[in-house]
Amino acid sequence: MAFAPTDETITIDQLTRDPYSIYRRLRAEAPVVTVKSIGRTLLTKAADTRAVKDNAALFSNNDPNTPMQRAFQAHTLMRKDGEEHMRERMAMTPTFSPANLKTLWIPAYEKLAGEYLDRLPRDEVVDLFPALAGPLAARILAIILGIPDATDEEMQYWSQALIDGAGNFGYADEPFARVDACHAAMNAMVEARVPLLKAEPDQSALSVMINAEDPIPFSQVLANLKIAIGGGINEPRDSLLTVLFGLLTNPDQLDEIKRTGNWSTAFEEGLRWVAPIQASSRCAREDTEIRGVDIRKGEIIMTVQASANHDEELFEDGHLYNALRPKSPHQSFGSGPHHCMGTHLARATIGKIMLPMIFERFPGMQLVEPEKVVWWGFGFRGPLSLPVRLN
Amino acid sequence: MPKIIFVSPEGGRTTVEASDGDSVMQTALANGVDGIVAECGGAMMCATCHVYVDDDWTSAVGEASDDERGMLDFAASEVRPMSRLSCQITVTGDLDGLTVHLPDAQI
Ligand code: HEM
Ligand code: HEM
Ligand code: FES
Repeated sequence: MAFAPTDETITIDQLTRDPYSIYRRLRAEAPVVTVKSIGRTLLTKAADTRAVKDNAALFSNNDPNTPMQRAFQAHTLMRKDGEEHMRERMAMTPTFSPANLKTLWIPAYEKLAGEYLDRLPRDEVVDLFPALAGPLAARILAIILGIPDATDEEMQYWSQALIDGAGNFGYADEPFARVDACHAAMNAMVEARVPLLKAEPDQSALSVMINAEDPIPFSQVLANLKIAIGGGINEPRDSLLTVLFGLLTNPDQLDEIKRTGNWSTAFEEGLRWVAPIQASSRCAREDTEIRGVDIRKGEIIMTVQASANHDEELFEDGHLYNALRPKSPHQSFGSGPHHCMGTHLARATIGKIMLPMIFERFPGMQLVEPEKVVWWGFGFRGPLSLPVRLN
Repeated sequence: MPKIIFVSPEGGRTTVEASDGDSVMQTALANGVDGIVAECGGAMMCATCHVYVDDDWTSAVGEASDDERGMLDFAASEVRPMSRLSCQITVTGDLDGLTVHLPDAQI
């Protein structure tokens, strides 16, 4: 057999602007390919991305050369062995139990969603990215994590700083300096809450972690909260904007969804169409083989779920948003042992609450100049704005 | 090897051979049975491997644990008394001939 072919033409800039046309070509010509500009081997077929993520024994997350540790000021979970990592994740899972989602977080979201929609101005152009999707994602996360005093602006600023720091592969100074300043603010915010939550425990992530019978070290409590801040705002934000764009540019589909009430299907199709997290990396623990291509031990594999979600073997016209397409499962929440912890929360809040609510309030909502909306991102992807007129 | 029978919502029956110790979910995926998604790969976190255990088999299979019941609340199709997450049912010789019915939807 042979190693993966190397592509020397694809640039990070191209992948940031228009990844889907590149992935379409790769699925046809080179579904297992090493892309020189990113130094990783990309998998673009659905069967391959899923097989790698489902096989954590052979493909680990332990990618030693990333700026993540510097950005998070902590040994993140991914650098630890299975058991220690598991202990740290389990420390937070009670917060996300089905009972807590049902009795606490979903009702809290419903109330907030109504309030944030009430604030939107009517009969003028409003950008739903900064006016709704970003702040609402930040608010519900602050509540679930147990730091409700953090403002929407702070949460979003911290989140972006963590993301920019963790993705600072050029090791420039500015992103690290910015994220360091955020750590000071986040630590102070969390520490101020600890005595309150010790006195009056609740189901928030912070409370559950510090009040556990055998608590994890406080440094890891902080690290867990920061991972959630870095990873819990932009996907709900981007997925809401994406599905709104899909429905508003396809009025016939929107009418049909209004008739059937199948908002969850419309949401899933938005997730499939433009996955908010486009790719996840894994590292081969042993020499192995994928689709007849040799993979070396230590090789970094990028499973591109964005591409898997457009795979011609599963989807017809996958590049088009179609809320009425026959169901077929996408991989936007990942799969296997890393499967997203926020899946049920996202499905219940955006799919079942926000979408019907926003179209009920604003039945005549219209996109303003959809052709000017810019889609952006290689690792995370979504529209940079969503200007609408509400009435 | 024990046999497992999957019945689609339309009534089509698929009989496959299972290995002792595998879950019913793994058996479905390994044999390309449509209708089991299993997003989380068996970590009991997704509720996309929902099945209805056939009336004749409910006592042999047993009941869902409290945690499993909780997760079943997120199943896409109606939850019934004989609903189970198929990743939580381990195949043994006693389950040779086990029949499970697939729900309309997993997502
Ligand atoms: C609060 C809970 C958790 C958080 C915040 C968390 C976060 C993370 C992060 C950020 C990574 C690196 C991911 C990447 O870069 O793609 C990771 C890796 C991983 N996580 Fe989690 N995780 C949590 C819980 C869990 C649980 C409960 C499990 C297993 C049941 C798990 C299994 C894994 C595995 C197997 C890896 C790859 C590590 C390796 O194989 O070396 N995680 N986790
Ligand atoms: C539409 C919304 C969302 C999407 C599309 C999404 C997507 C994902 C994906 C693809 C992964 C797996 C990464 C990998 O394989 O390496 C993941 C993991 C994770 N997500 Fe989400 N996510 C969403 C919302 C949320 C929310 C709201 C939260 C928390 C409140 C959350 C918490 C987590 C955690 C803790 C993990 C780590 C799991 C692990 O490593 O084992 N997610 N998410
Ligand atoms: S496979 Fe996810 S709960 Fe069974």
